[in-house]
Amino acid sequence: MTPHVGWIFTRIERALFRGASWLAPEADRAEWLQEWRAELWHARESIRIDGQITWAGEKEILRFCAGAIQDAWTLRKLEKRKPGTAFHGSAAECLLILLALFAASYLLSQLLPGVRAENDPSLYRVNPNLIMIQDAFAGDDSLATISVENYKIWKTSRQRYFDGFAFYRIAKETVIGRDESKERWKVAHASPNLFWMLGLPTTLSSVSGDAVGRTPGVILSEAIWRRDFAADPRIGGRVVRIGGADARVIGVAPANVWRLPGNMDAWLLEPDDVNRGIGYVIAHLTPAGRLEMNSNRVEIISSSADDSDEELRGISFADRTKGPWGLYQFALLLAFLALPAITSVSLGESHFYSSPPSWSNRFAHWLFLVAKIVLLLPSVYFASLDLAYCHATNFSIGSQYIQLISTFVMTLFGLRWIVLDQRNRCPICLRRVTHPARVGMAGRTFLAWNGTELMCAGGHTLLHVPALPTSWFATQRWLYLDTSWKFLFVGSGPG
Amino acid sequence: MAPETKLSHTAALILQAIQAGFVYGFSIMEMTGLPSGTVYPAMRRLERDGMIRSNWEKQAIADAEQRPPRKYYKLTATGNLTLEGARKRYPLLERLIPSEEVSRT
Repeated sequence: MTPHVGWIFTRIERALFRGASWLAPEADRAEWLQEWRAELWHARESIRIDGQITWAGEKEILRFCAGAIQDAWTLRKLEKRKPGTAFHGSAAECLLILLALFAASYLLSQLLPGVRAENDPSLYRVNPNLIMIQDAFAGDDSLATISVENYKIWKTSRQRYFDGFAFYRIAKETVIGRDESKERWKVAHASPNLFWMLGLPTTLSSVSGDAVGRTPGVILSEAIWRRDFAADPRIGGRVVRIGGADARVIGVAPANVWRLPGNMDAWLLEPDDVNRGIGYVIAHLTPAGRLEMNSNRVEIISSSADDSDEELRGISFADRTKGPWGLYQFALLLAFLALPAITSVSLGESHFYSSPPSWSNRFAHWLFLVAKIVLLLPSVYFASLDLAYCHATNFSIGSQYIQLISTFVMTLFGLRWIVLDQRNRCPICLRRVTHPARVGMAGRTFLAWNGTELMCAGGHTLLHVPALPTSWFATQRWLYLDTSWKFLFVGSGPG
Repeated sequence: MAPETKLSHTAALILQAIQAGFVYGFSIMEMTGLPSGTVYPAMRRLERDGMIRSNWEKQAIADAEQRPPRKYYKLTATGNLTLEGARKRYPLLERLIPSEEVSRT
């Protein structure tokens, strides 16, 4: 056989070993490869005849090398059965728990009608040309500040920036049903175009135009329709007495569609000349008005008949129609900002004296961190909605507060747990380090080392955590255990 | 592993070979006639079960003989006890590989 052919066989054997070595556990790979290369040398020496290797000899050596695949595979199987490779404490266990939390919170959110309604994207399709007009000196967006007289003047006068107005005011009214029972409802006395201008949908609208013309129409909230009318599907056209006057039911507003101030039981659509008092005005912007609206709030000066100027404020609906997603993003931002206040966010506290982790290990370490955060964030979103709407089926400010606070708290402490958990994960196998042992004496902190030592059950690393950070040992340190430590971690048998 | 643990014939043969002085993988293969795909995995299991222990030859020795260092295997106390039990089960073991075989360590 020529030396050229021998060189080819040598390459094949090396490639075979290199390929098989990927089957062996990473911690054992280098030693495994070293042993097989040494064995190959002895095999070659044994088969060589007069310094030459024959074809039959090369075949024999190839058969010998093929055994490396089975050996590496066996090593892999044995590694999996080691106590250090058990499921408990592993990265997979951690991710599965987070996945289960996400699944549970998501499934619960699908069962709660309030959450389902909040997540309905159709609720947040807002006409960008609508604004609410309010007194500029009102301290709160939800205060009623515009008189119906002003509304009537604006509506009838020529406007440059607005081409339509709607009005409503809120009042508590006594309502008498068909069975003469009395109830107190929170009623919005609104201009007839209110729902049309806002583009709000109604259901069960089966009243003719003539009927509506004769008697003011009333739109019931879904909650009232269910509570006082037993969700009667033939409610359309029924007459109810509201505040001493008859009103005909012309529809039911689905839950959560109303996002403006006031949690209404009904909307009484009556002619403008009947309305009185202070309320809210919604205006539709002309193209010129839209150009002026370069932020969510805009100052408006209104000139009245006596030439006195009135300072007003136009407020976009964007803030009120962000839905749970906007609130969630805001709470997330707060939690991320607050995180450094409750724990150190540094993960770069690991120092390897020798044999630092490979690039693939480092990548896996970061990937695991990202996976935990990716699983935590949607879990928090659904869990906070579950908490906020477990008792409420409608949008309410109270539910929004619960969502905001619960999102903030869960994200903050969830991220804290993720950071602390990540610091206690072996950089090689991502298992949690265990078996904490107190080392040293507190009184000798500044003269000797005092702290806690934890070890990876897989036998890869030791973690030293100082009890009191000092200038020479400020943060935790990892000690990489080479193969000479391996015998300590092999099963329970001696040797 | 308990001393009374029953070994397969292959494992017993490998233990017997190591005790007889065939202390690295290829020499065990040569002695037992078993293929590499059987001998090495069996030695991994025996090591895991605490019946044999391995250690690397010193580099200086290998350098002096102009060869790569070998990984040597040695029976532990448990391994010796288990092998004694195995000899009763497989009486031909000692005839196949006599214990007084020349030591190669």
